Amino acid sequence: MASSLGQGLVLLGLLACALGVPVGYYSGAARSAPALAWTRRLTLVFAAAMAAATAVMVVALLRHDFSVSYVAQVGSLATPTHITIVSLWSSLEGSILFWGFVLGAFAAGVALLQRTGHADYLGYTLATVLVVGTFFCFLIAGPANPFRPTPLPIPTDGPGPNPLLQNHILMIVHPPMLYVGYVGMTVPFAMAVAALLRGQLGVTWLRPLRAWLLVPTGFLTVGIMLGGWWSYEVLGWGGYWAWDPVENASFLPWLTAIAAVHSALVLERRGSLKAWTVILVLVTFLLTILGTFLTRSGVVNSVHSFTQSPIGPLFLGFLGFCIVGVVVLLSWRVDRLTSEPSTSPLVSRETGFMLNNLLLVAFTFTVLVGTLFPIVAEAVKGVKVSVGEPYFNRMSVPICFALLALMGIGPALPWGRADGRKLRRALLWPLPAAVVAGIAAWALGGRNGWVVWAAALGGYALWVAADQGLRPARARRRGGASLAAGIRGSLRQIGGYVVHGGVIVTFVAIAISANYKESVEGTLRPGGQLELADYQLTFDSVALDQEPHLTAQRATISVTENGKSRGVLVPALNFYPTMREPLGTPAVRTSLVRDLYLTVMNVSNDGSIGLRAIVTPAVAWIWIGVLVMGLGTVLCLAGAAKPRGSAA
Amino acid sequence: MNRTALIVGLLISLPLLVFLGLGFRSDPHTIESPLVGRPAPGFELLDLTGRTVSLAALRGKPVVLNFWATWCQPCIAEHPVLIRAAERWAGRAHFLGVIYHDEESAIERFLERRGAWGPTLVDPDSRVAIRYGVYGAPETFIIDVEGIVREKVAGAMSPSQLERLLSDASRGAAS
Repeated sequence: MASSLGQGLVLLGLLACALGVPVGYYSGAARSAPALAWTRRLTLVFAAAMAAATAVMVVALLRHDFSVSYVAQVGSLATPTHITIVSLWSSLEGSILFWGFVLGAFAAGVALLQRTGHADYLGYTLATVLVVGTFFCFLIAGPANPFRPTPLPIPTDGPGPNPLLQNHILMIVHPPMLYVGYVGMTVPFAMAVAALLRGQLGVTWLRPLRAWLLVPTGFLTVGIMLGGWWSYEVLGWGGYWAWDPVENASFLPWLTAIAAVHSALVLERRGSLKAWTVILVLVTFLLTILGTFLTRSGVVNSVHSFTQSPIGPLFLGFLGFCIVGVVVLLSWRVDRLTSEPSTSPLVSRETGFMLNNLLLVAFTFTVLVGTLFPIVAEAVKGVKVSVGEPYFNRMSVPICFALLALMGIGPALPWGRADGRKLRRALLWPLPAAVVAGIAAWALGGRNGWVVWAAALGGYALWVAADQGLRPARARRRGGASLAAGIRGSLRQIGGYVVHGGVIVTFVAIAISANYKESVEGTLRPGGQLELADYQLTFDSVALDQEPHLTAQRATISVTENGKSRGVLVPALNFYPTMREPLGTPAVRTSLVRDLYLTVMNVSNDGSIGLRAIVTPAVAWIWIGVLVMGLGTVLCLAGAAKPRGSAA
Repeated sequence: MNRTALIVGLLISLPLLVFLGLGFRSDPHTIESPLVGRPAPGFELLDLTGRTVSLAALRGKPVVLNFWATWCQPCIAEHPVLIRAAERWAGRAHFLGVIYHDEESAIERFLERRGAWGPTLVDPDSRVAIRYGVYGAPETFIIDVEGIVREKVAGAMSPSQLERLLSDASRGAAS
């Protein structure tokens, strides 16, 4: 029953997409209002069909309806209810269905929210979104069909989802956030394609494009952070970022999206960088599809990757179609997107933006090369190589420092031409903040050059962000507006600089945590102790807990800090029936200053354990910084939703 | 039409797509064993009953060499598969289990309850496991009639997979 209903709904979605594509492109080419109205309706049918199909799957999972193949594959009577819902994206077929659902939601968002104006762009936009929809519906209806009936006899229970997904609450939020970020990039892509097909990119179309670009960028930011946090809390190696191919796959479109957000600002303000902005938006989408391909096809080895599956070649085909389509479309139409000639002098905020874009693109290229190199090396020379952290760290640290410096200097510079005195004043004014922050880092024990520099550059950039962020509101106040009205009227600028603040906090926290990590390992019998950075860790006992879906060995460790009791931490080793190796669940004591991180490496038959303890300062600030970035994005969007008043 | 943009764009993107496509030729999750295609490292080990088992003495019939432990869930799942295969191939192949990081007493209790499929060898200090490059359990080496390692399987085997591997190995180097 659920199988047929689900398959029927997916086919309805496929039909709506397949019809919507030609109708949408026709409506754009012929400027036909009735055709546009039909495109909107078909888009909504697609969205509704995807939402309903996803609901059918969730109900089947909750009812443990093992007649549906996907439920038989990932469901289990022993799995707790919230994990059962998570099973929707725990395996390939379900994750593609969820993907379709998110795409439907975005498509419906465009169809419903962009009701007025933009009729000449909208048909092309919806049609392009529906091209992507057609591909995903095709996957769900055929090769990655989660609704296939289970072959008889129908099992009475299943294995449950991937143990890694059952291990932590963050798995409930990390994948959906990332998916929303990934899938959402389809909308700005479609809007950029529409601009190319129209041969025009006016400011009226740029504003919605920027807003639709900001939404997925914000989700991607938070989604990547949650992934790092999950990795830190679950995988037990004490780090949060490993330059894993799939982490990189989410980082690449984030970098180009950030570049696009900035170049769109210059375009809005100065009318230049039109083609460049469009290219960045297009590339961002292509990178999301590349990332999806890397995750779903099984061509790279990673904690995230699904096993090799038949949809890999289909994804490659789709990626090829998109890349070639974009190249052809760009070469055909890009000359029409003429920018206004740039008259900016060398030292100006425009140049700052250009440099920021170049650095971000260089960063993208660096990470892309490191990610794809193993694939290329194996194809060319037949050898398995892996590009490890040293490459990525060596390449990314200087780029990141340059970006941080630019984040201070760029916004401090005035737009357009300025005399030398004004320039000097603009650049020197925040210097005391840099000096104070650098000295503070030194005084607090920072003896590492990178950390002191990060603090100094961060202090400079933070000062500039606070100053520039509040400037429009202050100008409004001088113009007679109330404080509230001043802030309300300049939410976009405030939001932008709040994001900068978040980036600075995250950056400095990464610099500190990467340089001041301490760790110790040891084998402890009950009553045994380890010492690390003012902490005394006493191993009390280990207990074996049988739960329906796992067997856990939990070690109780009493923690004292400088003689004061800090309670107990209980790191565990979990054994899942479907896993070859046990999975460790670290126990973390987080504070704003530093984290104490404990993992059990092994439990011996004589009752002793192998314990690893890590103390890392400032980790909490990484997550806080990213949440501030998310908050800033929300402020930007709130500001973008209002008509713009006078600018700073 | 901007021809330069078209040519440059295609020159960058098409090779990339080809390389990505070539990635399908192999599964990155497999860790190939350098032993495959080479003579299996010899050993003489005692089994749980105290009898000496020498690999060299088994030449002439394929050998299934399985490293396992009672703490390993996939090994438990694989156990009935091996029992059935050992019955089907009785007299035509040798089945050897090697204890991998486990207590002899735990293994004995386990075998009492679930039955054995062949001699279970004690590997002091995991020396044989190290020579075979075992990094987890279960891992199975299929050694052919001439003593050459034909295949390494990490993780539990399915009945059909084991059947196919044994058929291949029993045909010797000619297959």
